[in-house]
Amino acid sequence: MPLIINKVCDDGTTSSPITMEEGKALIESLIKVVACYRHLASCVGGCTDNLHLRCELQQTRERAHKLAVACRHHLTARLRDKTLPPEERQEMERLWVAFTSSLELLHVDMCKVLNMGSNFSLVNTSALVKTGIQGETREVAARALSLADLNRAEDPVPGSLEDLEQGQLKEEIVRVDQMLEDMEEKVNVPRWMVEARGPQYADPASMDSTSLGLYSMDEEASVQHEQRCERSQVFVILALCGVILVAAVLSVCVIYFS
Amino acid sequence: MTISTLTRGGAQREQQHCLRKMERVIIAMQDPDIGLKMRNQRLLITVIPHAMTGNDIMEWLIQKYNITDEEAGHLGGLLVQYGYIYPLKEPRSLILRSDDSPYRFQTPYFWTSSRWPASELDYAIYLAKKNIRKQGELVDYEKQNYNLLHKRINHTWDFVVMQAREQIRASKQRRKADRIVLECQEQAYWLVNKPCPGAFDVFDLGPERCNVLNSRVILNSSLLFFLLRISSVPNNSLSSHFLLSLSCVCSFMKFCDQYHQHDPIMSGCLPSNPWISDDTTHWTINTDLVGTPTRLRVERWSFSFMELLNDCLGRREFMTYLEKEFSGENLCFWEACEDLRHGESSKIILKVEEVYKTFLSPGAARWVNIDSKTMERTLEGIKQPHRFVMDDAQMHIYFLMKKDSYPRYLKSDLYKNMLSKAIVPQETKKSVFPFMRRQRHSSPSPAMVSQATEDNEPKYL
Repeated sequence: MPLIINKVCDDGTTSSPITMEEGKALIESLIKVVACYRHLASCVGGCTDNLHLRCELQQTRERAHKLAVACRHHLTARLRDKTLPPEERQEMERLWVAFTSSLELLHVDMCKVLNMGSNFSLVNTSALVKTGIQGETREVAARALSLADLNRAEDPVPGSLEDLEQGQLKEEIVRVDQMLEDMEEKVNVPRWMVEARGPQYADPASMDSTSLGLYSMDEEASVQHEQRCERSQVFVILALCGVILVAAVLSVCVIYFS
Repeated sequence: MTISTLTRGGAQREQQHCLRKMERVIIAMQDPDIGLKMRNQRLLITVIPHAMTGNDIMEWLIQKYNITDEEAGHLGGLLVQYGYIYPLKEPRSLILRSDDSPYRFQTPYFWTSSRWPASELDYAIYLAKKNIRKQGELVDYEKQNYNLLHKRINHTWDFVVMQAREQIRASKQRRKADRIVLECQEQAYWLVNKPCPGAFDVFDLGPERCNVLNSRVILNSSLLFFLLRISSVPNNSLSSHFLLSLSCVCSFMKFCDQYHQHDPIMSGCLPSNPWISDDTTHWTINTDLVGTPTRLRVERWSFSFMELLNDCLGRREFMTYLEKEFSGENLCFWEACEDLRHGESSKIILKVEEVYKTFLSPGAARWVNIDSKTMERTLEGIKQPHRFVMDDAQMHIYFLMKKDSYPRYLKSDLYKNMLSKAIVPQETKKSVFPFMRRQRHSSPSPAMVSQATEDNEPKYL
């Protein structure tokens, strides 16, 4: 037990102390990664399930794990500090609750992916469920990893990747389990006592303003993509109207001149 | 110390068997050669593939499993009710229409699962997303649930809102057609897992009665003999634990003694066991509402009140007796409460109204005599009716009948006449020549047959 305590304390003091803002940013990115992971997990077993999706899931998981470890160090160090002022402590407790909830969601999603992955083998694609989804999940994975775009490696052999992946997934699930247990042992935060700060009904207009600077690039790209789609739709409608006009004029001419 | 929503290190919950079977049917439908025929769904400009009509589903089921229309309709209806297939035109009505109405498969992530049941946190995130996307999109019962959840899991509310926003942002990365499909999938999932109140709920397993089943004493024979030996030694200082086990043993022995004559395996059944002699007289003379019951049956009514009530004929006889005594409304009230407890969810409010009007209101036609405290509590509860609102009153009336009317019934002329009228069937003579008797072969148990086929089938391949 003493060894573990020292380790936590050492991590808090030897590395440069993370500020409150950075800690908050870590939690927010973890929440973002968990949301993206859930989005990717909902495609497993469907007709768009392929090796790329499984790779993306794996990469997202690794990123989530790194973020989770960093958050955990930051939060445990802060919460074990007895000299923390009460407002900061309240803020830390809120972040703690957000952190544990994200880890729980991640845990459930990983278990589901493990279960579905073992039931739906990529070797036999005729068993995949036809869900009506057509597009790729590349952008979502890029968002999770905070990259502009994913660079796809060469296609690995299906069978070997799947076995390796299932084994890794089981290990990671066990790791998240252990992390949750450790946290509950080390830090005594009564979750149900934490009060939420935000309003009950979230304001939809404020959605874009709360995003951090990291994602502004992604937002612009997606907005441009949307604008382009809308523009193409508008062109189609205009072209149709033009054709109808021409047909009307021609018919009037025919009637007039005959 | 901390409340966690995960089950830590506990036994792995198994997927319910019926759900596994349904999943296999869905997988069979995916086969490109012999599976369902897929069509395209057109929404103005967007075209979404992988839709099928209700008619297609019915025909496929009829053809694949060689069943009738009715059965295919029932099976298809179950698939829709459990959320494996969702309707596209009227998402809130989870029924299979055998016409052109379009349906689509649900993605495996959202399949109904008893291993990972829908959690409150997920539901809160879904409602928050719905609210953020479009203000005022939440329906009445969803608004109520939202407010309730806000109170119950208030400590994670910031997380709920942040996660909802992030999930919306993640889905914005997809193209429009996929976004529509994803929203439909999630909506279908929550319509199955958190249905509108009053709608059919597949997870409603019915009321749980805490009675004989839970308090059944399970003893193995060695313990039985050990305790019997102890009890036979005089002047033995027995601890309270042993005495308690002793009383269990005694009641167990009493039960065995009482029912020994009535058990068809222990004492044989008269006139003959239909499974062996192919003579169905035993069943015909023991039907529910037969004219003259057997003696054994009438004797069983005297064992306990529940025995009398569970037997249709017994209940009818008891009702006639009570009506003679002008207390028939007690049994009617008890029956109405049972109907409420075990009946359909959608009719609960109606039934509570009726019960109140007929039995409980001050000038009611068949007013039941309940003590004032119970009456107060029941009237309070009626303001927000639910399945178990009449439980207290029902219990009161039950005990009233059991302590008062039931013993008098057993001493009454009605019962004694019934007993004397009751028939004792003659046992059929076994044929003299042993080789004339039908040979008995044990048929393979259906459970073992299905186990063998399960092992042979690979998983979803």
